[in-house]
Amino acid sequence: MPAIFSRSLEGHARQAGVGLAVAVALVVTGWYYYAMPSYTRVGYTPEQPVPFSHELHAGNLGMDCAYCHQSVFESPHASVPSSQTCMNCHNPKKANVKGNSPLLAPVRTSFDTGRPVEWKKVHKLPEYSYFNHAVHVNKGVSCVSCHGQVNEMVVVRHDKPLTMGWCLQCHADPHTHLRDVKDVTNLKWKPESGKTVSEVGAAIQKDLKVAPPMNCQGCHR
Amino acid sequence: MAADPRTHEAHTGSKFPDPLPRIPLVWGPADYDSVSAQISEITEKPQPYWWWPALLITSSLLCGGVLAATYLISTGVGVWGSNVPVAWAFDITNFVFWIGIGHAGTLISAILFLFRQKWRTSINRFSEAMTLFAVICAFIYPGIHVGRFWYVWFSIPLPNANHIWQNFRSPLLWDFFAISTYFTISLIFWYIGLLPDLGTLRDRAKSRTRQMIFGFLSLGWRGSTRHWRHYEVAYLMLAGLSTPLVLSVHSVVSFDFATSLIPGWHTTIFPPYFVAGAIFGGFAMVLQCMIPARAAYKLENVVTIKHIDVMCKFILATGTLVGYAYCMELFIAWFSGNPYEWQTFKNRAFDGDYTWAYWVMMTCNLFIPQVFWIRWCRQTPWFVLIIVTFVNVGMWYERFVIIVQSLHHDFLPGSWGQFHPTWVDWLQMIGDFGLFFTFTLLFIRLLPMVAIAEVKGVLPMANPPYSHLDEEAAGHPIPPSEFHPDESYLKGEDGEYPTPDHALAASYGLPSRPATEVKPSPEPVPAFIPNPGGTGKPWGVVAEFANGSDLLEAAKRALAAGYKHLDAWTPFYIHGMKEAIGRTRSRLPLFTLAGALTGLATAASLQFYLMAYYYPTIVGGKEYRSWEAFVPVLFEMTVLFAGFFTLFALIGLCGLPKFFHPLDSHPTFGRATQGGFFLTIEAADAKFNPDETRAFLESLGGKHVAVVEA
Repeated sequence: MPAIFSRSLEGHARQAGVGLAVAVALVVTGWYYYAMPSYTRVGYTPEQPVPFSHELHAGNLGMDCAYCHQSVFESPHASVPSSQTCMNCHNPKKANVKGNSPLLAPVRTSFDTGRPVEWKKVHKLPEYSYFNHAVHVNKGVSCVSCHGQVNEMVVVRHDKPLTMGWCLQCHADPHTHLRDVKDVTNLKWKPESGKTVSEVGAAIQKDLKVAPPMNCQGCHR
Repeated sequence: MAADPRTHEAHTGSKFPDPLPRIPLVWGPADYDSVSAQISEITEKPQPYWWWPALLITSSLLCGGVLAATYLISTGVGVWGSNVPVAWAFDITNFVFWIGIGHAGTLISAILFLFRQKWRTSINRFSEAMTLFAVICAFIYPGIHVGRFWYVWFSIPLPNANHIWQNFRSPLLWDFFAISTYFTISLIFWYIGLLPDLGTLRDRAKSRTRQMIFGFLSLGWRGSTRHWRHYEVAYLMLAGLSTPLVLSVHSVVSFDFATSLIPGWHTTIFPPYFVAGAIFGGFAMVLQCMIPARAAYKLENVVTIKHIDVMCKFILATGTLVGYAYCMELFIAWFSGNPYEWQTFKNRAFDGDYTWAYWVMMTCNLFIPQVFWIRWCRQTPWFVLIIVTFVNVGMWYERFVIIVQSLHHDFLPGSWGQFHPTWVDWLQMIGDFGLFFTFTLLFIRLLPMVAIAEVKGVLPMANPPYSHLDEEAAGHPIPPSEFHPDESYLKGEDGEYPTPDHALAASYGLPSRPATEVKPSPEPVPAFIPNPGGTGKPWGVVAEFANGSDLLEAAKRALAAGYKHLDAWTPFYIHGMKEAIGRTRSRLPLFTLAGALTGLATAASLQFYLMAYYYPTIVGGKEYRSWEAFVPVLFEMTVLFAGFFTLFALIGLCGLPKFFHPLDSHPTFGRATQGGFFLTIEAADAKFNPDETRAFLESLGGKHVAVVEA
């Protein structure tokens, strides 16, 4: 009876086996890198209707975050400012800072008509997760912990993955992200010399009795 | 007649010889080649006239199931009749029903193997396949009943962006581990069992396609004793691993119910009761499929009346066990004085909406199988078929009663309710049967449905009494024996058949004696066989022998003559052959042990790390580190890893896959997987000399001796 397979087949079969194993390993590794929110969501930088620069306003001019996002200390939502807030400075009839800039035309239109500017939402949590801004900032979690160095962003980008696993890292170990409540909106804050972030955070955690929920219904109500 | 100390008569006056002549497991004049042909031809010849219509029917039913599942997934679980309070209904009933069916296969292949119940060889392949198909049918339900079935992967412990891990103290998770482990180990067991038979099919194949397919699937199995010695141990290891697995799977399934507080579920009798029920239902389903298949393919000499008889006894025993559990449940419900428990059982058995279902269950599972006390009922295939149909119906109703009846009345009368199945429920259930029987039909058609190699090993001609043949030839008669192939075959000393079974077995004809001559080669065997792309140097010398005993003798003499690189190639494992070629027991168990320890360590670290440190969760008010609830997953992962290590160790130690072998060019070597026995001495041997070694093998009585080019 003649042989069914040629003698080179075994070598090929072994090569194919190794190839398959490598391919599976690559797919799994690739999946865990490319299909995770840390890749798919981080870096999202949509073009906004108005080229508002956080670097200029919050960074160079040193405006407080809460000047625009004014309900952040009282409400679950940080609130996107209405064009009224912009017009405090940019109203051509009043302070007239760049009051006639064509770049601000959508803001002026919104102010005149009462229709909000259609900002693109960058940070979006799923509806089944209950997140309260006020609770976090009042316990000393800075804006920078979840939104990154916004004071350095010309266009706001999605800086952190905002996945549940990422939330839980801080919920399990909050002291790495806590500071005095008065410094929460100070995005350039550094601990006093001789202290680490952790030490400051640990003291704050004790003072403010920070005990983040680790149970499901803390966030999924 | 003088009192012979070997007979009962000496003690009791009975005329029966003691022991009774043992009835062989395969009846009639079967030999190695005829068994290979009989089983292989089912997959080789054109299918019988009923096969396509049958497949059409079952696949239509399957399409119905696919339709129902699609409708369910696209619309939502609301299309089923399950709702509060009966939140589990047809879905879990069918799930438990199929998981139960899946128990007979591995019981037959593993537990009966450990107990040396050799009759299992005729039915183990078929029932293992049924196990796999039944578990697939069952696995559909956990998949689709969760509603958003694309989130089913949440039940697998995979690292994920949410950092969510499973609750390892939940019986539902144990269930997931138990069933996936059971399926995997059963598949490995089944495939390892198939290897030699796939080799047989490959060597019988005429068409190139079949040769390629079976050549690939068999991984190049050629019946080498160096492989058999690992194979036998791997099989034993897997049997040892599967035995506790069979008992654990349905125990774990029963935990889904028993660990809850629902009256009617919260009982400690559930695990043994479920396991007994599973074996009961599993054997019934094996018979349900086996009896028609046996008749359709004329397998009566392999799957004999005695096989059916023994399986009926299993059904009788387990059915009675299950009946005992039914009665004990009822008694304890009353005896415990727990008003909720008694309310549920009173409602179940006497005055409730589902009392009819309870009595269907009692009748089919406890009362009807009692007919198997009667020999005629066990040995009449059409009658057995009717009874096992009742058993299958009864076992479905058992799950229905446990699940639906217990749920419809819980503690609060305000939350009582009824269950009404919808057409989707029915269609899904029918679709499951379609899936199961479609798989079964395809399996019968495509793969050997009887373990050919194992059956060869239990043929009368393969058995030890034939070692007496030499004594007989030397003038010493063999003692009256079941294997005495003459007119006294299976008879007592008085010349009568001791029981009707003996007469029935004898009516199939006398068993064949082992061949004494090597089958002639279809083409002349040259002294030197070249190989395509060969090196010009010899690989070794091969010789064919007429039967296993001759081969064993030749191998011993070759070893004694100083040859070291010996190998024997046989259609089934011959005991003593590995020693005859100078090999010892396989070291494969060490790999199994390593796998078991790896699995145990993995499961232990996974569970303790996740449940006690990574994400400490309080379950049932227990301490984070309380280990008791980790035991099921510890066990399942131990078995799973050990099974994988065993499979890979077998493949690795045997050096498989080996698609090309120099011996393939020998004109008759393909018979090593049919009925041929070959001895080879390799050129690597220090004592090897092409001419001398060939002459030596010829002097041992070898035929078709040839030097093969490497």
